Amino acid sequence: MIVKDWCMYCGECAGVCPKNLILLKETDLIFDDSKCRECDICIGVCPVNALER
Amino acid sequence: MIETDILVVGAGPAGSIAAKHAALGGADVLLIDKKSEIGSPKRCAEGVSKEGLNFLGIEPQLIWAVNEIEGIRLIAPDGTDVWLNDEIKLPEAGYILERKVFDKHMAMDAGRAGAKIKIKTLANALKKEGDSYIVNCESMGEELDIKAKILIGADGPESHIGRWAGLKTGTKPKDMESGVQFEMCNVKMEDPTVLEFYFGSVAPGGYVWIFPKGEDVANVGLGIIQSKADKTAYEYLVDFVKTCPATKDGKIVELNVGGDPVGGMIKDLSDDNILIVGDAAGQVHPLTGGGIINGMTCGMFAGEIAAKSIKKGDYSKKHLSEYDKRCKDLLEDKMKKYLKVRDYLESLSDDELNSVAAAFQNVEFKEISTAELVKKLVKVSPKALLKLGKLF
Repeated sequence: MIVKDWCMYCGECAGVCPKNLILLKETDLIFDDSKCRECDICIGVCPVNALER
Repeated sequence: MIETDILVVGAGPAGSIAAKHAALGGADVLLIDKKSEIGSPKRCAEGVSKEGLNFLGIEPQLIWAVNEIEGIRLIAPDGTDVWLNDEIKLPEAGYILERKVFDKHMAMDAGRAGAKIKIKTLANALKKEGDSYIVNCESMGEELDIKAKILIGADGPESHIGRWAGLKTGTKPKDMESGVQFEMCNVKMEDPTVLEFYFGSVAPGGYVWIFPKGEDVANVGLGIIQSKADKTAYEYLVDFVKTCPATKDGKIVELNVGGDPVGGMIKDLSDDNILIVGDAAGQVHPLTGGGIINGMTCGMFAGEIAAKSIKKGDYSKKHLSEYDKRCKDLLEDKMKKYLKVRDYLESLSDDELNSVAAAFQNVEFKEISTAELVKKLVKVSPKALLKLGKLF
């Protein structure tokens, strides 16, 4: 996953990830890409459109 | 390895008050937060009721209760507005907070009650070992294991703790409001003691709020359900701010974003050695999206019950389920009703909202509350009567 520099680290993507694969640090998002099924729900909910596959 | 009776993950208002009441109950408590500054960045519109603070035993202080609210103004898509203020009884009158100050103040309350606090400490994983949890953390670059007899997950909408422990936290996208907010000055409000709510296609699945923090300062934000929307929450807000007479000359000094879980409380709030509180548990009003007072009230219950469990030496689900019962007694019926109201409101077109607002012009409100509003809504709208008549 590509996290754009305007990401605000709000964690909404982490809350909706059905597999709980996104860990939010204070200023970093860690995606566990190995288990991701590419449902793209995280990309859809981002309030500022900061995620891109 | 650090050992503690109770570990609270997340120092938002729900986590901090849980830590405070657990410490007051005599337990050894550690409160951790991943951020370097508790309360920053803020994640909400900062409204609380006076009644709620009073119930929690929290005395409002000028440094964080920055504006007193005396009424509500609801605005339909065509601009027709409904005022609830003046001499009406006001059970939901309240304050606008400065969350950055308030959250820190609540954490300090926990600290003063005896809880230890570690900031910049992120929970990475957890495992069950005998009758306790071991939480693997990262604290200022160092790995740290914390062993706790009871774990309180107050980690917000991300809600990892509950899911790692096998509870059904986490939110479906249809129940997650995508929120964006500007703090602005130069806002021209009709009355800076009145909360404004704008409904309709300005914010599909949610609403726009203008919450005044001072004469010309306000939080201007919105929540949308992304699947009902055709652009991002941010784009909706930019468009609203440009066109709304109150905000078009406003200057933006802060941007906040975040998810708000409005789908109702999770079914199981506890299990052996664990309790979930606040946004992580979905303790949010499904209609308004407000969660500070609900989360804090349940947080207080969690702290009290966890401390009692430590005293008894029984951290089993059976014993901790008193927490589930108290939260459900307080919130469950109310939440079920307001979930229905939310469904109904989401079903209305802009035209229908306009006619509801027009019908409201001749209605006298006995008090300013969401319940009173819905009761009157049922009287003016046959569609509302059909869908909600039995509930209110």
